[in-house]
Amino acid sequence: MRGNDRVATHNCHSRSNRESRKVAAFDGLSNMELLLNSMVLPVTFPLAAGILCLLLPKAFDRARSVLATVASAITVLIVCRLLLEWKQLPGNAPMILSGSAWGSLRLDHLSSFILLVTTVFGFLISLYSMGYMRGKERLREYYAWLLGTIGIACGVILANNLLLLLIFWGLLGFALYVMIGIAGPEAAEAAKKSLIIVGGSDCLLMLGVTIVWVLADTLTLSSIRMDLADGIRYVAFFCFAIAALAKAGAMPFHSWVPDCGAQAPASVAAFLPAALDKLLGIYLLVRLTTGMFVMNTAMNTLLMLVGAGTIICAVMMALVQHDLKRLLSYHAVSQVGYMVLGIGTGTALGIAGGLFHMLNNTIYKSALFLCAGSVEKKTGTTDLDNLGGLAKVMPLTFVSCLVAALAISGIPPLNGFYSKWMIYQAMVDSGRNGNCLWLIFLATAMFGSALTLASFVKVLHAVFLCKRSAELRHRDIREVGFSMWLPGIGLACLCVIFGVFAYQLPLATMIFPAVGGVVQLSGAWYASVATVLLLAAYALGVLVYLLSTVRKARSCNTYIGGEIMEEVFHHKGTDGKVENVEVTGVDFYKTVEDLSPLREIFGAARAKLFDIYDLGGKVSAYFWEILRAAHGGLLPMYLTWVLAGLLVLLWMLFSGGRVAI
Amino acid sequence: MDLGYLILQVLVFPGLLFTAVAGLITSWVDRKVTARVQMRVGPPFLQPFYDVLKLMIKETCIPAGTARGLFLSAPLFGMAAAALASLLIWRAFLVPGQTFSGDIIVILYLLTIPAVSVILGSFASQNPLASLGGSREMKLLLAYELPFVLAILVPVIHTHSIRLFDLLAAAPAVYKPSGIIAFAVAIICMQAKLTLVPFDAPEAETELTGGAYVEYSGPPLGVFKLTRAMMLFTMPIFLVAIFCNGIAFDKGALPILLGVLKYLGLVVVVVLIRNTAPRLRIDQAVKFFWGPVTLAALVAVIAAFLGW
Repeated sequence: MRGNDRVATHNCHSRSNRESRKVAAFDGLSNMELLLNSMVLPVTFPLAAGILCLLLPKAFDRARSVLATVASAITVLIVCRLLLEWKQLPGNAPMILSGSAWGSLRLDHLSSFILLVTTVFGFLISLYSMGYMRGKERLREYYAWLLGTIGIACGVILANNLLLLLIFWGLLGFALYVMIGIAGPEAAEAAKKSLIIVGGSDCLLMLGVTIVWVLADTLTLSSIRMDLADGIRYVAFFCFAIAALAKAGAMPFHSWVPDCGAQAPASVAAFLPAALDKLLGIYLLVRLTTGMFVMNTAMNTLLMLVGAGTIICAVMMALVQHDLKRLLSYHAVSQVGYMVLGIGTGTALGIAGGLFHMLNNTIYKSALFLCAGSVEKKTGTTDLDNLGGLAKVMPLTFVSCLVAALAISGIPPLNGFYSKWMIYQAMVDSGRNGNCLWLIFLATAMFGSALTLASFVKVLHAVFLCKRSAELRHRDIREVGFSMWLPGIGLACLCVIFGVFAYQLPLATMIFPAVGGVVQLSGAWYASVATVLLLAAYALGVLVYLLSTVRKARSCNTYIGGEIMEEVFHHKGTDGKVENVEVTGVDFYKTVEDLSPLREIFGAARAKLFDIYDLGGKVSAYFWEILRAAHGGLLPMYLTWVLAGLLVLLWMLFSGGRVAI
Repeated sequence: MDLGYLILQVLVFPGLLFTAVAGLITSWVDRKVTARVQMRVGPPFLQPFYDVLKLMIKETCIPAGTARGLFLSAPLFGMAAAALASLLIWRAFLVPGQTFSGDIIVILYLLTIPAVSVILGSFASQNPLASLGGSREMKLLLAYELPFVLAILVPVIHTHSIRLFDLLAAAPAVYKPSGIIAFAVAIICMQAKLTLVPFDAPEAETELTGGAYVEYSGPPLGVFKLTRAMMLFTMPIFLVAIFCNGIAFDKGALPILLGVLKYLGLVVVVVLIRNTAPRLRIDQAVKFFWGPVTLAALVAVIAAFLGW
């Protein structure tokens, strides 16, 4: 573009002020060089590949899925290369690409970790989609938007300019809308709801950006640091926080997540609400609370309140769901509560715990959604009433689902337990610093974890362990193909590895640096040692089994009341229909549901009294009714309005500046 | 940390073997006291050992068409977790300096694993009675978890630490009114955690014929029984540690004797409750725990905040 050579290389710069180091300047690059710059490439490459996917004709659907998978794998490599490049900077200073035209890009510990996780998940979802989406409609748009979403998300993470962030953030909301809609016309309502809630929060983000721009006189994210000194700054903070929480799906901005999760294709649900939107929402929240704003106790307590409320309300809703994907979506909401709770403590340990929980949630929640997708692919339903007995025929899916379910319930030594344990500890610490509600939050969080276990126990029973439902009994169901079970198994392994080697792997390399590296753990929970001990005791038990009669175990029918169960329970009714008298597990918590105050609350929740979308709809409908009266369809009426408006304008014009427009 | 030494600890003392033997002895105490209450003679001292050994040589039956791996592993995981929990508690007694902050939370979570293993094992049985038993076990867990956590947190508020060692070093929680209420709540929750009468709905011999365990036989059933015995030992020890300073091993013989007496006293309370109360239906149990028991726990928490 321009001739002057202002491209600075990484190593020859050693200014004292690290923040102002410019790794490269836009002005010195040609357009092509700019697009291929290692910091821009994670954004442009997937977008370009997405456009290619869009251009391929319909006959090449198979090639398109391969192309998308390869492209997302290459994106991971591009990000890895960028991270290596960044690691070579002296002192691990943030890597900055600045310029006037686009704003600037910035890579530091926090964004690098989120960037890597995002692209890895993009790859896993593409791989899974090869099997899951095969033979479905609108694949062209699906893959184009999948890759596009990866690129846009990278843009959000790298952006160091609030306007740039806002643009990518808005695009992501739109991508969500399109990708939910791909499931077909029945998903249109869910897509619209998501667009309105997420888009509404985008408007607030826009307002927040404007306020911050006026107050701080800059749009550069890394140089903004504000005290919550007066009302307008609180407004700005709330605007940003609501945008972050709505994206992550925390209450009361959660109601798009269950609809989206239930209606969208399972791969989309696993990628967007379960993984990516959590990553980005929590990323923005951490940026807000640790960078842009100086938090005070009241705001931290408010965040913790939102977190604790989200945990308990969402998990209660999950407990009584009948649809697998909807149930998982409520957990996607509930888990956000733990992250917000951790960040709300305001301590380094709590924020690290929140970030770690975000990573863990991404892993196990995606695994669960992928399992739900596999079940749906093979049985054609996700209704818990009509499933059952899949453990024997889909063992790999079952194992990955079991591990992920135990991890999300916080069973030690899996990863979910480690991050929860960090958050709990941070809460006790925050109690020492004068927060008096910590105990209620702590008890809520631990109780929420028991409720999570309860709802997953129900899932495991209804989908995998109980006898097959009448619909499935005579169907030949097999395990899903390689590309579909591999991501699930891989994620389940990660659940184990990140739990057992939590300190050595994710915490020391990614998460502690992201919160500044000063995390105090007074004598850690040695998950790896504990695992060895558990396995040792387990192995002793296996030894006992091997020495005893278990080797020659006899397989026998299940009897009930002295009769073979199948014969008693599966007779045909008088109308020729097979009666299914079995316990499916769907109504396990009927007794809990029917307890006195809970019954009314569940009733209100079913009537959508807590849904911000429906409430907002009712409020705006009220105003519509008033405005509608003005639209009577009568020409004289409209002419009167026009004339009145004209008169007002004239009066303003001629009143000579006394009325400010 | 010497890993080999720790493995020996978890397998022998104070882990698996020690807990199992102590638990079986405790279950003998339970049976003997129960017999006395019912004007019977009661079993000989070694009867609980004979029972478990007998199960080890009985035939194993596995329901056809089930997930065999889960069916067989579930009891083992419960046993392993109980052993590890016991190890963590006893290490706080024996080598106080080496415990870590937050170990109470780890122990709390480990102590739920035996219940989880019973639930998963019962579901893998593919029998409606077992499924119902498992679901009741789960509901019971939901019911007592909230008041139990609140009660455990009362001493934590007193000392501002979630490290078991700090609780052992501080003044016992039961010296304060809030501690007494919390202790009572915790005892009731323990009764449910051990699924003893009045909270034995998951097994309910008369209606579910053993419920969760209905399809289990031979060694896997033996392991379940052993885990129950281990929990019968570990749970009272945990409560004694949390609320009454546990057992002090570094101050001579008298404090050790005192500690053992505290433990035995708690066991006798458990046995007496189980012999004098009728079984509650599961919905009554849930209502009971979420209603009055949680209320009492909250009162204790508020009192603890006020320093009482």
